[in-house]
Amino acid sequence: MVETELKRDRVIIRLGTKKWEWTLEPRYWRNTLMWAAILFLLPIPCYFFLPGIINTMISANIYAAIAMPLALMTIGTGRMNFGPQFYIGVGGYTAALLSIAFGWGPLMTLPFALLTAMIAALLFSPLVIMARGLYYVLLTLLLPLVFLEVTFIYTDIFKGDTGLFGIVPLLNTGNAKINFLLIGYLSTALMFAYLWIINKVLKSRYGLIMAAINDDEEVAHSIGVNINKVKIIAFVAASTMVGLIGWFYAHYFSSFAGITYLPLTFMLKILLVLMIGGRAQVFGCVVGGYFIAFLEMLMIRFMGPIQPLLFPIILLILLFILPEGLFGLYRKRRYREYLPTIHVRR
Amino acid sequence: MAPLLSVRNLTKHFGGILAVDKVSFEIHEGETLGFIGPNGAGKSTVVNCLTGYLAADEGEIELNGVNITRMKRHERVHLGLARTYQIPRPFPELTALTSVLASSISGKKRINQSFQDAMYDATHYLEFVGLFSKRNILARDLTFYELRMLELARALATTPKLLFIDEVMAGLNPGEAKNAIKMIRRAKEEFGVTVFWIEHVMAVLMEAADRIVAINYGAKLAEGTPDEVVNNDDVIEAYLGRGWRNYA
Repeated sequence: MVETELKRDRVIIRLGTKKWEWTLEPRYWRNTLMWAAILFLLPIPCYFFLPGIINTMISANIYAAIAMPLALMTIGTGRMNFGPQFYIGVGGYTAALLSIAFGWGPLMTLPFALLTAMIAALLFSPLVIMARGLYYVLLTLLLPLVFLEVTFIYTDIFKGDTGLFGIVPLLNTGNAKINFLLIGYLSTALMFAYLWIINKVLKSRYGLIMAAINDDEEVAHSIGVNINKVKIIAFVAASTMVGLIGWFYAHYFSSFAGITYLPLTFMLKILLVLMIGGRAQVFGCVVGGYFIAFLEMLMIRFMGPIQPLLFPIILLILLFILPEGLFGLYRKRRYREYLPTIHVRR
Repeated sequence: MAPLLSVRNLTKHFGGILAVDKVSFEIHEGETLGFIGPNGAGKSTVVNCLTGYLAADEGEIELNGVNITRMKRHERVHLGLARTYQIPRPFPELTALTSVLASSISGKKRINQSFQDAMYDATHYLEFVGLFSKRNILARDLTFYELRMLELARALATTPKLLFIDEVMAGLNPGEAKNAIKMIRRAKEEFGVTVFWIEHVMAVLMEAADRIVAINYGAKLAEGTPDEVVNNDDVIEAYLGRGWRNYA
């Protein structure tokens, strides 16, 4: 008879008089190089056998690449932004409109998409100083919804009902399958770039200052942190990073419609990536992104019409049993390895 | 000798209520100034005005000859003001060491201070207040006394010239209180800070303070050595009420 026993730090398996011990040391599977190698090698077999997986990978990478700046923003401003998809809309529409009007390629539209996202973020950055708590949530929630209405009202410019078509594609090698594979790699590279940058920032002294702001703004101010400066920089930088994703979406699909990204359903997915990965842990965002994207893909494929109902239920259950997310399992064991997380306040 | 901090005619209104009424005093370098007054006298409001939580309506505050009346809180910290809170306000999600590290990084500007340097500093301050063994404990899991000590370490890590201590004895048992007083004395000696000490417990200030300022209803009642202030009739009246002699 096999007996298994779960201790705090090890699993013990007994068979008769024999005994095996398996230490659950999370440090071993937190090897970034190993995961990077897996993510870069996975598309190659998929290319030959299961091309659909690459599509899911791209969406997973993009979910993670939206959730990571959102994590940075949440920690750096000490507030939960419920409308990061507004900047996807800004970046995406800028790239799409410029590409359609002037026939510009992705490299030409990139600086403009970044610039408009940054200007929009700067315009709305006083929100992080003026509003807090529920008011901030409501105001940020309204922004993308208002923008969505604008795309319908000025439908001759934004084509709110049909979406914009004819954007120059991201890559064009002549072979659609190879295009797809390369875009997969591009999205992985983008995700890793974001991961590297944001992890570096959060582990530096600026990350620590942001964590202090996230915990208690008043006290952070009274130990000498210029909170307004830090909050605005975190807000604008993260929003610009999200704006870049809009540019990616526009050129990847060669079409862009606000109705896909601006409504709350899309935001909900991003929020769940953030929370399931682990309260705003950057590595958790990657895990959460892959988890959500693959779960979504499996549900669509096997669950049929009840998928829209089951998807949130599964996620709700997960949020209940893992309140600190998947990464929280790790953090619980060794919180001395310092990384800031969001502190949900009233 | 020029005073470290000089306050002239500090006034603060809350709506129609006059919370601080033309208070003036000076703090000289290296001394311990006690600040007393009955409940609601405006002690905390004065500290809040001095550290920048509230903007003073009138009056001037000068630190080392620099007018800081209209400065923001973090600018005052960079000039050398630090405070502890009456009720400890830790960073709940940070460990004890990282809380002190945060204030070591963001306190008074130190040239070429690397993250590692700040870490050494933070370790030193944490060891000073006796929390080194708890460095990896989240601040929300510390006891009340430890939180007070963490507050002190956090305030000292900004390398202040002038330290505002707001009722350090509240909620501590006699043994802990004794330690806390000892700690503040040692901090004065080792780090050369000047202490501005608000306290309810008179016995502590009688022993520790060089000078005491007493206020009531926002206005200064008395200023002088502890013995002078304690024997001042106005101060006794403020605490015991008019006609206390009838019962004495």
